[in-house]
Amino acid sequence: MLLDYDHMGWLKTALLGFTALVAAFLLLPVVFIVLLSFGSSRWLAFPPPGWTLNWYQELFADPSWLEAALTSARIAALTAILAVLIGLLASFALVRGEFRGREILRGLLLTPMVLPVVVFAIAIYAFFLRLGLGGTTIGFVVAHTVLALPFAIIPIATALEGFDKSIEDAAIVCGASPLQAKLRITLPSIRIGIFSAAIFSFLASWDEVVVAIFMASPTLQTLPVKIWGSLRADLSPVIAAASSLLVGLTLALMIVAALLRRKFKT
Amino acid sequence: MTQPFLSIRKLRKAFGAFTAVHDVTLDIPKGEFLTFLGPSGSGKSTTLYAIVGFQDPSSGDVLLQGKSLLAVPSHKRNIGMVFQRYTLFPHLSVAENVAFPLRVRRRPDAEVKKKVADMLGLVRLESFAERLPGALSGGQQQRVALARALAYDPPILLMDEPLSALDKKLREEIQAEIRRIHRETGVTILYVTHDQEEALHLSDRIALFKDGRIEQTGTGEDLYLRPATDFVAGFIGNSNFLAAEHLETVGGAATIRLADGSLVSGISANGSFERGQKTRLMIRPEAFRLERNPASAELTVDVVDVAFYGERRRIVARTTTGQEIDIRPTSAAMASQDATPSRRQVFFDPGAAFLFPA
Ligand SMILES: Nc1ncnc2c1ncn2[C@@H]1O[C@H](COP(=O)(O)OP(=O)(O)OP(=O)(O)O)[C@@H](O)[C@H]1O
Ligand SMILES: [Mg+2]
Repeated sequence: MLLDYDHMGWLKTALLGFTALVAAFLLLPVVFIVLLSFGSSRWLAFPPPGWTLNWYQELFADPSWLEAALTSARIAALTAILAVLIGLLASFALVRGEFRGREILRGLLLTPMVLPVVVFAIAIYAFFLRLGLGGTTIGFVVAHTVLALPFAIIPIATALEGFDKSIEDAAIVCGASPLQAKLRITLPSIRIGIFSAAIFSFLASWDEVVVAIFMASPTLQTLPVKIWGSLRADLSPVIAAASSLLVGLTLALMIVAALLRRKFKT
Repeated sequence: MTQPFLSIRKLRKAFGAFTAVHDVTLDIPKGEFLTFLGPSGSGKSTTLYAIVGFQDPSSGDVLLQGKSLLAVPSHKRNIGMVFQRYTLFPHLSVAENVAFPLRVRRRPDAEVKKKVADMLGLVRLESFAERLPGALSGGQQQRVALARALAYDPPILLMDEPLSALDKKLREEIQAEIRRIHRETGVTILYVTHDQEEALHLSDRIALFKDGRIEQTGTGEDLYLRPATDFVAGFIGNSNFLAAEHLETVGGAATIRLADGSLVSGISANGSFERGQKTRLMIRPEAFRLERNPASAELTVDVVDVAFYGERRRIVARTTTGQEIDIRPTSAAMASQDATPSRRQVFFDPGAAFLFPA
């Protein structure tokens, strides 16, 4: 191919440089936040005049932060479970099903990925208010599940496409009922897709802020909402510490997902 | 009449307007090794799938020991099957794969263990018990699949081109294994292939499929020596077809006139022909002789090319009317100095030639 990476000569260097620049541009703010969370300046001066763990101590001493983190984790975990369950059923329909409108259904299930979040947030806010689900855990989980579904369906459907249905048929000839064959043979065979789906839908909820702002109530706040709210009240390095933890968990889960994929590829 | 073990009655399967299987009827005695042979798309797999229950026939019936299987769901038919594709469960060890059908049947642990050992012994893979399928060669995977399919002592074993993904040498090796396992277990086998040699090596009987119908059922010898139709003659073994005009048939022996004007009598006629009807005469390449004998008919040909094929030579020749024919005399029957292009007579036994409608 004309644009084969190995045959691009000096362009290769240019491309590499440009990519590095973009990556730096995207990552630097995050690096700043993490550095500031360890800096001793209350006014977030950079470079920090000294280093300290004070802000983290303050963070853990304040029960409202911990509560927000637990709320986030609970909602993200429930979202992940629900998204994986629905994602599994949807993937079987999309990959194995032969029915009219299958492509339309696929498009519909994946739209939350491209739909402007704020539009979705306003719509579901109005809708849930009427149903009395605003500010409830169920409301949060349902709204986040809609957003997380594409991230659950894509890895599961991909894994299912790569799984030869004859293997499931073989299990059935061996005497397993169709359900048994799916539970004992098909699901374990596509487990890597299921794990990825769980991690990505957890993250889709964990760091989601727009819908969460609309859904939150004074008594039910996720971590991103709490960060957002505190930010508007006063600019304290504690927020940097909370943000660093948020990023830290996200990063850890992404690494787990990447390792899983590498392990199962070989 | 005694009841056949497995009986396929007037089986028909249509996909929309397209009929993949028309009216297939077959009786299979217990312990037989029967092969479905036929070109791609001739309905072999569809027939097999109706037996195992992956596809519901449009009409007709499948009976095992007199009882219809159609109302029984696939997982309760207790049939063994080896697929064309590798279908071992990727996350289970070889031993657990073989144990799977016994575990879903909730057999006691001790029995499962013993049966797994027996089965792995049968396919000679005892030392691979703890491996995952990904760490086996294609041939080993199919042997494990065979062990898994036999672990629950199914009355019938179905195999849908189990060896087609393997190379020739491995294929022959596993063919020998399959023959031995058939002998040792006495299981009734329905085997699908489009490889005629494989069918001839393995089977007690062959059902030759064409366009969703069975063209002929019989032993390999029946199909080779007594083909019922020109399709069978052309599909099994090699064959030459010569244009001929039918003159008369007396007591099953036909007299014909070949395109070069020569008369041949004593041909085995399949069916009855009119006087003057256009027909095709089939002669196997191996049926040609280079020496005359009292009963033989003769044909004048121009030798175009001679090649040495080990046991036999292959002569490409042309009749005086320009039709190319293939002749395979044994190498011993022809000295190599004869191998020069020239006009000569070749001979054949009219009883080993067959007449079919054109
Ligand atoms: N699900 C299906 N829908 C429509 N047509 C089908 C379906 N399954 C099979 N057919 C058609 O039925 C015919 C017979 O198919 P079948 O798979 O039985 O052939 P086969 O003899 O096994 O061929 P091969 O040697 O290629 O496996 C083919 O023309 C095929 O295209
Ligand atoms: Mg087939």
